[in-house]
Order: sequence, then C-alpha cells, then structure tokens
Amino acid sequence: MTELIGSVFILTGAVFLFSAGLGLVRMPDAYTRIQAGTKASTLGNMLVLIGLAFYHPDWTFRLILVIAFVLVTNPVSSHALARAAWLNRTPMAPSTVADALAEANERRAGESES
Amino acid sequence: MIRRVLVLLTVFLFALIFCRLIGGYSELQELRPLALHYVMQGPAELGAPNIVTGILITYRGFDTLGEVAVLFMVAASVGVLLKNESTAGADAVDDDSDPRREAGEIVRTGKQVLLPMILTFGAYVIVNGHLSAGGGFQGGAIVASGGMMMMLARPGAALNVALLGVIESLAGVIYVWIGILGLVLAGGFLDARFLPRGEFGAFFSAGAIPLISALLGIKVGAELSVIIDRFRS
Repeated sequence: MTELIGSVFILTGAVFLFSAGLGLVRMPDAYTRIQAGTKASTLGNMLVLIGLAFYHPDWTFRLILVIAFVLVTNPVSSHALARAAWLNRTPMAPSTVADALAEANERRAGESES
Repeated sequence: MIRRVLVLLTVFLFALIFCRLIGGYSELQELRPLALHYVMQGPAELGAPNIVTGILITYRGFDTLGEVAVLFMVAASVGVLLKNESTAGADAVDDDSDPRREAGEIVRTGKQVLLPMILTFGAYVIVNGHLSAGGGFQGGAIVASGGMMMMLARPGAALNVALLGVIESLAGVIYVWIGILGLVLAGGFLDARFLPRGEFGAFFSAGAIPLISALLGIKVGAELSVIIDRFRS
C-alpha cells in the first residue's frame, strides 16, 4: 500500500518534470522558459523525493534535507538567471504585459528625484 | 533533392550501425578476472568499504596523480588564454555600464544560507570518500561550486589567487611525499598501507586513503576556484 502511494507521488512528479521539459521547448522567450523550468522542476523534484521517502522510510531525514536544498537553490539560481537576462536587455515575448522590475526602477528613480 | 536523399542515407547507415551494436551487446554474467580480484581482495587489503575510492587512490594512484596534473595544466592554460583576451577586450567593456554589477538581494541572502551548507557537504564528501560514495575529486568540485556562489554574490570581492596557489601546491607536494612514503614503508609508490588499517568501516581507517582523499579535495577545490575566478576577471 505504501509502495502504491509512493509510486503515485513519483508518477505525479515525473509528469511535472515532463511539463518542465515541455515548457523549455514551447515557451516563447527566455523569462517564461526560466519560469517553466524552475517552478515545474521544483515541484516535480519534491514529489519524486517524497515518493522515495515512502519506498525507503529510513532515508526520510536525508530526503527532507535534499528537498530543503532544492527549495532554496532552485529559486535563487533562476532569479539570478532572470535578473542577468533582464540586465542584458534580453528581448521579451510580444505578449508580455507587465515588467515589474522596470516599474520598480522607475518608481525608485522618481523618489530619488523628488 | 539529392541532399535529402543523402541525409536519409546517413540516418539509415547510423541506424544500421547502432542496431548492430545493440544487437551484439550482451551483459557480462560475471566479473572479469581483474575486477574480481579488486572486488574480492580490495576491501580486505585496503580496509576501505568504498572499493571505487580504494582503487582510484591506491591501485590507480599514479593515474590519479596524472589526472591532478592535467587539472593543474588546465588551470594554467586557462589563465594564459584568458589573460590575452581580457587585455585586448578591456576597452570594449568600459563604454557599457559597469560590468561588476552588484548582485541581487535574493542572491546575497541565498549565499548566506547556502554557503555553509555547500561547504559542509563538500567537506563531508571529501572526508567520507573511503566509506561511501564520494572522494577528493567530487568533494573538491562541490567546494569550488561554493566558491562560485561566493563570487556570484560578491562580484567586487577579489579572490586571493596567490594564497590558493600556495595551498594547492602544498597539497600536491604532500601528496607526492605520501606516495614516496608508501614506496619506502609499504609495497610501492602511493601504497596507502603504511598507516594502520584500523577498524573496517570506521572514520579513521583504511591507512592513508582518507589523508590522500583530503589532499585531493583541497587541491581540486582550490584549482577549480582559481579557474572560475579567471573566467570572471
């Protein structure tokens, strides 16, 4: 029974990891690709590791450590990539509607002038 | 048209080659005599539960020394190649905005959380090389990734390349000296059995293997950090 639950977790995680790969191919620009790769692969990794914890209960503590590591590293690295891309003026997809970083910079510039 | 036919023909030929390779492959049912000797005698002779590290550091110790030398040459040649590049391209960079831009807040905070974790894990992998999967090379690479994180979070800070070079050379010299000690006190160059074997599976065991592993880790970590720093500047 526990193995069945673990298998379901791992399968769901694999589906999310697949969607991450699909997003890397299908998304229109660099930022959406980073977003697809990060979000889906973080969740997919976590689900696979949780599934593993059902298979090997004695690994649980190490798996929790790995999950914590993935939870910290994945957003930080994708943030650094996206910020570097923005600062390099990597073009956005035509359908982009909001650029929060540019708005924040404008607001800050306006505050320093006044 | 002819191009398409050629492409199809190439794909077909590759498919034929790979099909023959896959068809001819059969998994070995038993170990080869040399591997059998390593697996049966290795743990008993060396006292290291991790056979891979045992083989790499003792039986193949000279090979590992050569690999470290290759890494050293890579570090040196990267330095030479990138030095010319940076002096020639220095004018082109200046007209743009400052290349040493301050890192984002998330990266800086993430460094504070992650750096101790990464360095601890690297040290763990290095010193447990004779007990579980890992060893000097892998742990050194992890330590160097911690160094890279530090450089990303503080782009303006300079890495003390001279000190790292001294540390790395010292580790290399001590490594060779341990090899010569093995030649004098035990069976041959880089024979790790001149230190007591200790209890099988304990932290202090397997002769000089943990010592050599730690030296390798220091050397690889310092070398890779220097290489990454060269790419930055």
